[in-house]
Amino acid sequence: MVELRDVHMRFEEKKVLDGVSLKIEPRERLVVLGQSGSGKSTILRLILGTLRPDSGSIFFKQFEITRLSRRKLQRVRQHVGMVFQYSALLSSRNVRDNVALPLEELTDKSRSEIDKIVDEKLELVGMGDSKELLPEELSGGMRKRVALARALVLNPELLLLDEPSAGLDPVIASVIDELIISLSEKSKVTSITATHEMDSAFRIATRMAMLYQGTIIEEAKPEEFKHSKNPVVAQFVSGSTEGPILEGSLDAITKK
Amino acid sequence: MPHAELPPVVIAEGVGYATRYFLREVGSVFWLIVNTFEETFERIQHGRVPFRAASFFRHTERAGVDSVPLVGLVSFFLGLTMALLTGYQLQRFGTERLIPGLVAIAFTRELGPLLTGIMLAARIGAAFTAELGTMQVSEEVEAIEAMGIGPLRFLVAPRMLALVLLMPCLSTVSNIAAIFASSLVCKAYFSIAFPYFLDLVKDSLLIRDIITGVLKSLLFGLLIAAIACYRGLTVKGGAAGVGTSTTSSVVTAITAVIGFDTLYNVVYTTFYPT
Repeated sequence: MVELRDVHMRFEEKKVLDGVSLKIEPRERLVVLGQSGSGKSTILRLILGTLRPDSGSIFFKQFEITRLSRRKLQRVRQHVGMVFQYSALLSSRNVRDNVALPLEELTDKSRSEIDKIVDEKLELVGMGDSKELLPEELSGGMRKRVALARALVLNPELLLLDEPSAGLDPVIASVIDELIISLSEKSKVTSITATHEMDSAFRIATRMAMLYQGTIIEEAKPEEFKHSKNPVVAQFVSGSTEGPILEGSLDAITKK
Repeated sequence: MPHAELPPVVIAEGVGYATRYFLREVGSVFWLIVNTFEETFERIQHGRVPFRAASFFRHTERAGVDSVPLVGLVSFFLGLTMALLTGYQLQRFGTERLIPGLVAIAFTRELGPLLTGIMLAARIGAAFTAELGTMQVSEEVEAIEAMGIGPLRFLVAPRMLALVLLMPCLSTVSNIAAIFASSLVCKAYFSIAFPYFLDLVKDSLLIRDIITGVLKSLLFGLLIAAIACYRGLTVKGGAAGVGTSTTSSVVTAITAVIGFDTLYNVVYTTFYPT
């Protein structure tokens, strides 16, 4: 369903992606792991087409995202739902209007039809009672759930989730994870999640990929990933300070 | 310690860098206008409204109705001052009956659109930049784009249209306020009765002056909206970036309005010298 072929990307002098190749099959829940700033969110933005790679190709179904015109890209994006790290709800619109926005702007549905779909999606994420609230009146977890409802409102085939449980307490993080699993099973959507939260990653994933120094160093099912022989993956999974990830930088930290 | 003289190559490099930056900014604003039109007309071609009427009217209310007191008051005071100062000079030659025409032509052709442009650049341009800049740093603009909604059509087009349509109306308010103020001065200090004042205004004002004023206002409205939205959508660096961009937006928009006014006058007087 999604394929990245030898994707390179740099921001000014910093090389973020250095030949990333990744294939995602339909109905998979792929979790991309990596340190903060390793380029996980960049991969999601490249798939969405809001960023263009320096080189390489990105495919979504039969479309080569990197070669699409603005108009075609806008049409393709209607099949993709994205949940941003900080939810990115429109602050001037209430919950109902945030979720209704894609339907109002991109479909010919009547007001009553839109209301029905919005109610249904908000009920799905357990936010049916908060329709009139503004984003500033919501907690972090509630915002994430509204963002998820907004991402699902056009029944996308692909769901991109950027740190869905970051900054949430463990209970709410589990609720969000369970929600993602049940939604992807019920609605049969393919999902790609970028995270560095290991508990959340193992709960959600049907397959995992580790991004390190601009490349995918390991791809495996969660069980295999947990027992990986790769020292970088093993250190990342265990959260240990001993290992190749902090080599050099740990010395600098301890000397301070 | 005396400053060492800069070598010519360094000066040339600086000039080249500044020119490139200027041209890149002008090009970006130009393409923002073109792409906004393109996105909007594509939507109309598909038989759909480009943006919600409520969004358009919210901006017209803020840019137009809420700006009337400021534009009216400033223009009233300026009209008053202009009539007084020119009146005393003209009185020495016995030509104070020229005051109504002078104020009417000056405001209709030049000062009305210019003052309104400067006031709107400061008042509304800053608001547009701050609003879009905040949306940009909180990823709201990217979220709109991610949904497959054209951000230029959705965010820029209603603001641009509101300002373009409202500028001539506010210029008219400015002209009327200034002419009314000068009529009060004429009556109080130079014994020109109101009906005679109106006759003198009508005699001196040409349709061409009114058209010039309206065209300038439309152009200024487009410029202010485009610069303000461009600055807002290109904000980088969080809250501090929003502040910097807002200041830059106001300065750029005011400079652009005055610059285009001068350019317009040069072109106009070349083709219509009288």
